[in-house]
Amino acid sequence: METLSRYLRIWFASARYSLVRATMFRGDLFIWALVEFFWISVNVVMIGVIYSHTALVAGWNMYEMMILVGTSMLIQRFLMAFFWSGIFEMGRNVRNGLFDFILAQPGDPLFMASTRKLELDGLINSFVAASLVVYSAAKLGLRPGVGDIALYAAMVACGVVIHFGALVIAMSLAFWITSSQGVEGSYFTLMEFSRLPKEAFHRGLVSVVFVWILPAVVVSNAPARVLLHGFQASWAAWLGAATLCWFALSVLVFRLGLRRYTSASS
Amino acid sequence: MTKYGHAFVIGLQSNLIYRWNFAVRSLFWFFHLVVVFILWGAVFAGKAGIGGFTFAQTLTYFVVVFILQFFIGAFNEDYQISEDIRNGLINQFLLKPINYFAYRLSVFAAARVVSGFFGVLALAAALPFFRGYLDLPHEGWRLALGLPAMALTAVIQFSIAYCFGLLAFWFLEIQGFVILSMAVENLLGGQIFPLDLLPHAAFNAARFLPFFYQAYFPAAILTGRQGIDFAVQGLAIQAAWAFILVCLAEAIWRRGLRHHTAAGG
Repeated sequence: METLSRYLRIWFASARYSLVRATMFRGDLFIWALVEFFWISVNVVMIGVIYSHTALVAGWNMYEMMILVGTSMLIQRFLMAFFWSGIFEMGRNVRNGLFDFILAQPGDPLFMASTRKLELDGLINSFVAASLVVYSAAKLGLRPGVGDIALYAAMVACGVVIHFGALVIAMSLAFWITSSQGVEGSYFTLMEFSRLPKEAFHRGLVSVVFVWILPAVVVSNAPARVLLHGFQASWAAWLGAATLCWFALSVLVFRLGLRRYTSASS
Repeated sequence: MTKYGHAFVIGLQSNLIYRWNFAVRSLFWFFHLVVVFILWGAVFAGKAGIGGFTFAQTLTYFVVVFILQFFIGAFNEDYQISEDIRNGLINQFLLKPINYFAYRLSVFAAARVVSGFFGVLALAAALPFFRGYLDLPHEGWRLALGLPAMALTAVIQFSIAYCFGLLAFWFLEIQGFVILSMAVENLLGGQIFPLDLLPHAAFNAARFLPFFYQAYFPAAILTGRQGIDFAVQGLAIQAAWAFILVCLAEAIWRRGLRHHTAAGG
């Protein structure tokens, strides 16, 4: 309990620093908020264009698809807000030796590296993504109960943990390949699959890999289905297991990588 | 001319150092194509065509767009230019009889030769999976007009990246602008969906924007989505945009230099 409270204090200190910094560079904050908003808009326009030519895609109508894509974006915005900058910089810091700075801090290196920065623009745009989900649910006439909303929130949190794990694994490659420039693309590529409904995967190997082995599909489909169809035990169990596995795997890969870290100072 | 030839060769060598980054990018491209295949496969399920095109024609369009990006797309030229400015490396070009735009264009061409090679490798790896779904037209004029369209697309893509890179004369951090522009370029350039699926009025408006010529236009010529009249008119608009953007790049460069302070020894 004491440890948890200490880590919470560390996180609050980092968050406070990030917020002060964000308010100092307001122009930068505005641009990045706009960037995220534009990317959300790109997805919405794509859905609009596709559904102007068809009523259903893999059995999902336009607003159901918007809930799926909105959920996927919501998870990604939370990742961007809470963890992205720290993990992204980790790759660069491993290469130039600045990771020493993380190791010298009073806490677990993965925690210290991944929670260093809170990005306000990601947080702002998580409201935009959430609004898309709420708007689409209203258009579908959905009235989820408090339990469904709580379960949806818990599943979104699981999704953030899975995204966190995938990104940590990708960026930990820097411990082996030194230059991790562009490696973050593997995370974005993997998460592109999370904007697709599971029913669209009906071709052998692809379905096995992206639905069953990698967590790309379950991460967004599970929470979206809670809003659309209520609690489904199989999806909840699947998401829970994927969350535990991917978090454990990311910690393992990070620690294995950390053993290879030799600093870079002269 | 020789000095830019040397810049090209050095660009080739330095890009070959990062061959694994290009190889990894090619692998991502393959997975991205899988996403496109699954999504558009689901969109076309049970339908003979959408917007007048079959699933095979649409998949072919995306494959050509992706390959074009390897050969003529600007990847991180904006970032490299901004780093030159921010770190003061630009100063060495100011002291030598080198045109920075031409130098950067030579390095860009070298980088695209290397990335194009990896793009072809990725295509070769993907072909066994997608061959049955590809449908390319065979009219000779498409290649005759498609190649100059590709060359102009490269100029447009490079010039836009160059202009964004030069913003570093005024701003410390330009990545926000770059990614903001990337969202617009991806959408209005036809990388997210073929632009001919837009409502007619929106499509006609998009035709007069430079983004239209960043990917959609050459791909539409090569994959049979547009006819010869459209291609000829488009080439004229595209050439005008290429000219405007090169002039704009020069103007921003001149203004930026006035703002620039070269410090250090």
